[in-house]
Amino acid sequence: MKLTIGNLHVQDVCLGSENSFKDGILTIDKEAAIAYLKEEDDHITDLDIVIAHPGDDTRIVPVIETIEPRVRMDGRCLFPGVTGDLVPAGDGDLKAFKGCCVTVVGKEWGSFGDGVIDMGGEGAKQTYFSKLINICLVGDTDEEFERHEQQKMNHALRWAGHRFAEWIGQIAKDIEAEDTEVYEFDPITKREAAKNDLPNVVAVLQPQSQMEALGYNDLWYGWDMNKYLPSFVSPTEVFDGAMISGSFMPASSKWSTYEMQNFPILKELFAEDGKEFNFIGVIMSNLNVALDQKERSAIMVRNMALSLGADYALVTEEGYGNPDTDYVRCQVILEDAGIPVVGVSDESDGRDGFGQPLVVLNEKLTALVSTGNVGALSDLPACATVIGNLEAMNRDGMSGSWGYDEILGKSARDDGSIIMENNNWFCGNHISGFAVKTMVEV
Amino acid sequence: MTKKVIYYVNQFFGGIGGEDTADFEPEIREGQVGPATAAASQLEDAEITHTIICGDNFMGSNTEEALDRIAKMLEDKEFDLLIAGPAFQAGRYGVACGNVCKMVQDRFGKPTVTSINVESPGVEMFKKDIIIVEGANAAAKMRKDLKNLIKVANKMLKGEQLQCAVDGYFPRGKRAELWLEDTRENTAAYRGVQMLIKKIKGEDYQTELIIPKKDVVPIADPVKLDEAVIALVTTGGIVPVDNPDRIQSASATRWGRYDISGVDSLPNRAAEGYKTIHAGFDPAAADADPNVIMPVDAMRAYEKEGKYARLHNYFYSTVGTGTTESEAARMASEIIPYLEEDGVNAIILTST
Repeated sequence: MKLTIGNLHVQDVCLGSENSFKDGILTIDKEAAIAYLKEEDDHITDLDIVIAHPGDDTRIVPVIETIEPRVRMDGRCLFPGVTGDLVPAGDGDLKAFKGCCVTVVGKEWGSFGDGVIDMGGEGAKQTYFSKLINICLVGDTDEEFERHEQQKMNHALRWAGHRFAEWIGQIAKDIEAEDTEVYEFDPITKREAAKNDLPNVVAVLQPQSQMEALGYNDLWYGWDMNKYLPSFVSPTEVFDGAMISGSFMPASSKWSTYEMQNFPILKELFAEDGKEFNFIGVIMSNLNVALDQKERSAIMVRNMALSLGADYALVTEEGYGNPDTDYVRCQVILEDAGIPVVGVSDESDGRDGFGQPLVVLNEKLTALVSTGNVGALSDLPACATVIGNLEAMNRDGMSGSWGYDEILGKSARDDGSIIMENNNWFCGNHISGFAVKTMVEV
Repeated sequence: MTKKVIYYVNQFFGGIGGEDTADFEPEIREGQVGPATAAASQLEDAEITHTIICGDNFMGSNTEEALDRIAKMLEDKEFDLLIAGPAFQAGRYGVACGNVCKMVQDRFGKPTVTSINVESPGVEMFKKDIIIVEGANAAAKMRKDLKNLIKVANKMLKGEQLQCAVDGYFPRGKRAELWLEDTRENTAAYRGVQMLIKKIKGEDYQTELIIPKKDVVPIADPVKLDEAVIALVTTGGIVPVDNPDRIQSASATRWGRYDISGVDSLPNRAAEGYKTIHAGFDPAAADADPNVIMPVDAMRAYEKEGKYARLHNYFYSTVGTGTTESEAARMASEIIPYLEEDGVNAIILTST
């Protein structure tokens, strides 16, 4: 499978009355975009588009999702089974607007898995997305059944975000790419001898699937990953929209759809493919909550790795807490099968840093990358502009923020300043690999 | 502004004398005594205002009294840091430095630092509580140990972030985030793949999370059911519908205690009874019937059948998701007195 991504580097985004991309300026016809997105989903009652730039004194909350605007040159949809018909992903030509993202924001209401992005100031370092121009899609819906639920599917707004990314992507269709990324994943039984002689490395991804009720989890070709078993997939499928992010999991431990489209760990594996090792693909697992489901997935990952002839594995989880059991179990079962592992995750050490980093520990885990502590506190001044609604942090049970604490007070203070846990930074620990943060003993 | 430091030494380093003066009672002197003099010259923008001297035997045999007397001496002193030692591998002196540092941290909320060799029991006893710079095994290394100790002290006085690996003190089991320069080489993706390559090649690499040795709690002895006073405790977040104790839905630091006297079964959310506020699982089943997490119904039925002595008339609840081991241990220690008071000798702890 060969996936070619032609990049168009966005210097600025403007809202106007036409769609265009000239001299690095992406112009979006705001009214047409809103009309299209409302037309596609009757549940959307309110929609606005606001641009936030890196360095702006702007706080965005509650952030539901981020997506990179792209187009498929052959007319296939960007997210099969989500924004269009089920079609294969993972090969062909794409164009992508780099340096920007569609950021889906609740106008009023937040959910457990929603987060915060600070575009400037001390909080900007907490998420990768502060480095991008955020094309914020701020909306509300008539999904009354979950209005006051802590766990929201946020279906209408999430789908609007994916459609919007696809709609913006259309602007790139007839414009020549400035540079091109090529990802070639050769059939693993038909590789040249020199490559076959290298050690075989497999990536094991554990995307979020903990919610037993459907509609909250990550989707694979539109399929809820709670009702899924580990499968062998091409890394190019992950880049090409086969998977979208869900609405569950504390924000800082999530992988957003933008991160799946650009999965840094998979890109680094491609960078060394054919040099240091032979990258033989991805075992896409999941993170269900019942013990038998966990064990079944671990067994299937092990057996697939053995059957593929994997010599080494890199395992990463979208989450912490309960998912740590899958993360640790999977590494142990692979090590026991003679397949040494490197793991990538964040930690939950508590506010004081003295807590146990993972829910379960096993001395067979000898090579771990750590990307942050979900319990670390942030206390930051007000920003001049808020996109969304700060009160959601106090009211809606967003992970890592609260409405009452006898010592710390509420998360979103009346003067606009905030105090919250790392948990609430949108994808803040960037387990997908963007993280330039580690954990040390102090 | 020049910061103020207080120094602690034993009778030997305080110039009082050797073993024959080890019963020397705590005394505070203005200025610097013994190693404090050399330390003062290495401190940046800080002065050592006082030195406390105490004999090792006196501290060892009358620990509480000695610490109380030292605390009293410090009550009217302004200071920003306490430095003790270096103690090298001396047993009693190492433990004394640990005791004094811990007392000052606990009672005055001030930072402390000392230097002890790993062979002194002071390290094992106090390394989790205080900063102990790894010291040499003999006083001949005073210059080196003092230099390392004061280097850390200077950083602490400036409020700089310490790191075990860089600053040479014993790990406390405390972890913190460290931002790296924003380069591709520093991304978790690059670090992970390079670590894998080193693992493949059999080269040395440094894991970013060292898995500590297991802290296993032994299984308790069986309870005789006919004598069993059983309490129900859960991390499943079952609370009265208005969540009166405002227990958090994740990363909980709060817990609640709810009266179930005469209650045969917990009424559900729809009946304005109980619900779960736990954010880590689908609440539908527990909201429909809270007894599936907090099995008051089954326990009352067994109680009536005489399967055990009696049910404790309160249940206890918090939320387990994202809640750290240390917070959980603290909450348990707050709950236990209530259980002991009612003679509870068995607990059913339901998780989710």
